[in-house]
Amino acid sequence: MNRFAIYLMLLILFSCEERIGDPLKAIDSDLLIVEAVLTNEKMSHKIKLSHPYQELNGNDMPASGANVVVIEGNKKVYNAVEFPQGSGNYYTDEMTAVFGKQYLLFIQYAGKDFFAVAGSVPVEPMAELQYHKAGGGLYQLQLNDYGESPNYIDYHVSWPGTPECQTKALCEGRLIYYDLKTIDVNSLFKPDKEDFLFPVNSIIIRRKYSVSPDYKTYLRSVLSETEWRGGIFDVQRENVPTDLSNGAVGFFAVSTVLSDTTIITEKP
Amino acid sequence: MLIPGKSVSQLSRFFSVLFFLLSFSYSSTAQENYRDTRISVDFRSISLEDVLNNISEQSGVSFSYNPRKILGDQKITYKASENTIAEIIDALSLIASFDYETVEGKIILKPKEKSAEQLKATLSGFIKDSSNGEALIGASVWVEELKVGTTSNVFGFYSLTIPSGKYDVTFSYIGFNREVTNIDLQTSQSHNTSLQVAPALLKEITVTSIEPQLANEIQVSKTNLRPATISEKPSFFGEPDAVKSLEIVPGVKMHSDGSTFYYVRGGDRDQNMILMDDAPIFNPSHLLGLFSTIIPDAVNGITLYKGSMPASLGGRLSSIMDVRTRKGNDQQFEISGNMALLSSKLSLEGPIKKGKSSFLLSSRVSRVKWIFEQFNDDIKNFQFHDLTGKVNFDFNQQNKLYFSFYNGGDKFLTSNNGIAWSNRATTVRWNHVFSERLFLNTTLAGGVYDYFLHTDRSTQTQWTSHLSNVNLKGDFSYFINPNEEFDFGLSIGGYNFNPGNVSRNGNTIPPVVSVKNSSEFVLYGNHEIRLSNHWGLNYGLRISTWTNEGEAFEFVFDDNHNPVDTLFFKKGDKYKSYQNFEPRISVSYNLNDNSSFKVSAARNVQNIHLITNSISPFSSFEVWLPSSLNIKPQTANQLVFGYHHYIPNTRLSFEVESFYKKMKNQIDYKAHAETLLNPLLEGELFFGEAQGYGIEFQMKKEEGRLRSWVGYSYSRAKRKFSDLNNGREFNAFYDRPHQLSITLSYDLNSRWNVGMNWNYYTGAPYSSPISYYNFNGLEIPVYGQKNNDRLPDYHRLDLSATLNLNKNAESRFKHNLMFSIYNFYARKNALFINYNKTEQQEGGFKIPSNLLDREVVSTQFYLFQFTPSIAYNFKWR
Repeated sequence: MNRFAIYLMLLILFSCEERIGDPLKAIDSDLLIVEAVLTNEKMSHKIKLSHPYQELNGNDMPASGANVVVIEGNKKVYNAVEFPQGSGNYYTDEMTAVFGKQYLLFIQYAGKDFFAVAGSVPVEPMAELQYHKAGGGLYQLQLNDYGESPNYIDYHVSWPGTPECQTKALCEGRLIYYDLKTIDVNSLFKPDKEDFLFPVNSIIIRRKYSVSPDYKTYLRSVLSETEWRGGIFDVQRENVPTDLSNGAVGFFAVSTVLSDTTIITEKP
Repeated sequence: MLIPGKSVSQLSRFFSVLFFLLSFSYSSTAQENYRDTRISVDFRSISLEDVLNNISEQSGVSFSYNPRKILGDQKITYKASENTIAEIIDALSLIASFDYETVEGKIILKPKEKSAEQLKATLSGFIKDSSNGEALIGASVWVEELKVGTTSNVFGFYSLTIPSGKYDVTFSYIGFNREVTNIDLQTSQSHNTSLQVAPALLKEITVTSIEPQLANEIQVSKTNLRPATISEKPSFFGEPDAVKSLEIVPGVKMHSDGSTFYYVRGGDRDQNMILMDDAPIFNPSHLLGLFSTIIPDAVNGITLYKGSMPASLGGRLSSIMDVRTRKGNDQQFEISGNMALLSSKLSLEGPIKKGKSSFLLSSRVSRVKWIFEQFNDDIKNFQFHDLTGKVNFDFNQQNKLYFSFYNGGDKFLTSNNGIAWSNRATTVRWNHVFSERLFLNTTLAGGVYDYFLHTDRSTQTQWTSHLSNVNLKGDFSYFINPNEEFDFGLSIGGYNFNPGNVSRNGNTIPPVVSVKNSSEFVLYGNHEIRLSNHWGLNYGLRISTWTNEGEAFEFVFDDNHNPVDTLFFKKGDKYKSYQNFEPRISVSYNLNDNSSFKVSAARNVQNIHLITNSISPFSSFEVWLPSSLNIKPQTANQLVFGYHHYIPNTRLSFEVESFYKKMKNQIDYKAHAETLLNPLLEGELFFGEAQGYGIEFQMKKEEGRLRSWVGYSYSRAKRKFSDLNNGREFNAFYDRPHQLSITLSYDLNSRWNVGMNWNYYTGAPYSSPISYYNFNGLEIPVYGQKNNDRLPDYHRLDLSATLNLNKNAESRFKHNLMFSIYNFYARKNALFINYNKTEQQEGGFKIPSNLLDREVVSTQFYLFQFTPSIAYNFKWR
């Protein structure tokens, strides 16, 4: 049981939540959204540009036709090319964003210039993957804080070759466990999260991201507006901050990444 | 409080008129038996000359006087019905300060041999409840012959200085039989009075209301809440609640269901102070806020000031709730109690020395642990409690000593973690009557509030915040005459703030947030004077000096809120001081005995600040900071216009007040500010302005079989910060323009009482998304204007029925059953609206975990629909 479930139980007896019609007061916006996380992995890094959408579960509206450049330490320039055209996804030349260097993201779009600067911090080793049998022959990850530095671990879980996949429309999943090392009331008493279950022989690829102080501030705000929102100690709603200039939103971050792969085996 | 009487100032004489009157005398065919002639008169601010003319016309009696010595133009207010001429002349002689004699059927008026001042005497004393010796706060003392009166203060003390003579003095208090005592007041004397409670169904005809006098009170924005009013209101889970009862007061807006937070006239919740016998209660909530800490059983009186509070009170911008606890029955032992669904109460009180000293011990304990054990077998402690005690010693007429304490807290602990908080308050009070006119109340009071988050009980690892205060003050009241009172005093106090630190096995572990200490010195004076029959004036000044003292460290921030320096201060170093002047003035104009116009202006200053960016209605993780290098004192200037009216025939009182309040140095927060365990907490704060304005209507009837409070207000609460909402003004989240409250209580017969309570508020503002985008698989909302949207309107109907189980009204054991239904028509009053949860097949809503397969919906979260309860109350004496 969640260690603070005791608090929530106070309200279980008296509270109720129900679905309501979407009361969104949508306003069209040409806001530029930037999602860019460079890592120390040698690869073409994706930089996603989009515009906001006006309804829940909507799709990003691509921001196409931008000029996107990443500059490493004022010296090396990596161009990013939109692929496929019209997708809003821009891929850099193959590169590695390493600890100790500063990276500048520069975007020209719709006659405006946007930029952001970021650097990475080291990442601590991961603890051994923990999981347990959750019933119904399925397994569940045991997610705990570990280490001293803020980080998050991105879990990609897939089970394409298993019997369970035949009955499932989607035989993969992704979840992220954020360990930002903060004390926040809305985090301590965040709303319940769905169980994420997977069968034996699932393949789990873990990628642990280091989080710089600025990135931590951003992610803490993101979580306040997403996974921590809806508990009994909500905080004031605010737009999440950004490190981008000229009115763009989103974030440009550089992280150090560790990864591993695990195949889920039978456990009693 | 002053009640209008005759004019105190004598106008200068105009000699031209005097010469004209010099040879003027009244003559008529006086009858020898004129003294027994009965007539009726009703003089309102009429000259003595006209008064005598009128009497002469009605009775045939003739008068004669020297206008150089008897002022014919002095204004007289006097009413008599079928009184003899002798009685009327006697009364007039007191009012206009003359002697008289009858010569050849003519009444000759002569100046008094001594001055009026020399002939004045003071009547003073204490007014109590005869059944238990409790002080009656705000009881009325009225001298009909002079049309003057006063009311008792919070200790039941009154003082009335009037011309010497014999008077029928009426003592009355709502819900009690009035007492008329003939007093021969030749010299100053004390007179203590005990009033008897009126039988319930006879209240309609036996009780004299004090409302007409309240209508004439100069003070504005003041509401008296009687414990009886709170107790008979439909209650949540059978628990009468003093704080939540404030919802019947227009201008006070409760946060929502399950909350003890309230907002007054556009101010934030930390701008309200609750004083229990002058000791502050910093967190008045139990079970997150389902109940408040203040039990009406232990309360003698509650006064809420929404603005322009007396100069003796201060320290908050928006309101002060002044709670006076009972001192205990000094006549006989008494046991009372209550069994409700979630808690039980027991009170024990009685005389230590009959009529001289008494004690009171009142406790409440929750009985909720067993409920939650059904869900979690790891629960170790799950309870809340209150313990209130008081002991008093009535040494003599001049000296009374009171000691009171309150201890309340909540604990919700599992074997290894949990939360807890506690409030403690202690007061030692000495009342001393220097003379019939000079009263001193000396108070030593302290309050402590602690909050604990236990993260690992095995290593005693916990986050703790703390706020404590100790205060010594002396309040003097000088009753100059029935029309004039001067209050003055001083206080010195100290505060200790721990804005939250983590410790393990008693040792603080980094990061360390600076503990802060402050002291406050206050000097005040308040003068209330009735200038004439119509005009009243109350003005005062409160001067406060706030000083921060080491040992502490403070950060210096640049304009972008980045820390640029750290300052360390040694123990005892006084490193920052604020001096503030808080003037206030109220003027009233009485149209007649029952109605008045009032206007008031006041400035208030606040030096302690609650730091939280939570919009939750529940009490949690409260951090307080003092005014210091980075936080200036909050200030408010408030202007109030009011009209108060009492309709004697219906016993209805009606008041309307409009207000405008401008507040500066208000606190708001950076987006998603870190308020816990953040040494740089002050860098997370923004400072700006706020304003509140509105109009409030209230109609109430507190007597008779049908009792009611009806209130409506239209008010706004706006905030403006250069760093928020692009510098544009926005609605505060407690901006709820329309508020309507109807509370009724009706005695069906001697055994059944029924009650209802209906409340309506405009929905609270909140920021709703105007669009979304994705980052790391999460759907992130984009907000436009701050608080651009509103929750659905709030409304709720509560019903109650109380059955008196005693057939014999004189029984020493009294008990009743109270049936209540909270939210009778099961309105779903939304607390939050969320846009980030997935509907579960088994029911309920959760945050999706699979970022590749998420389908979220909009949901609303609400508390307490149809909630019935039953409570058993008893009393034995």
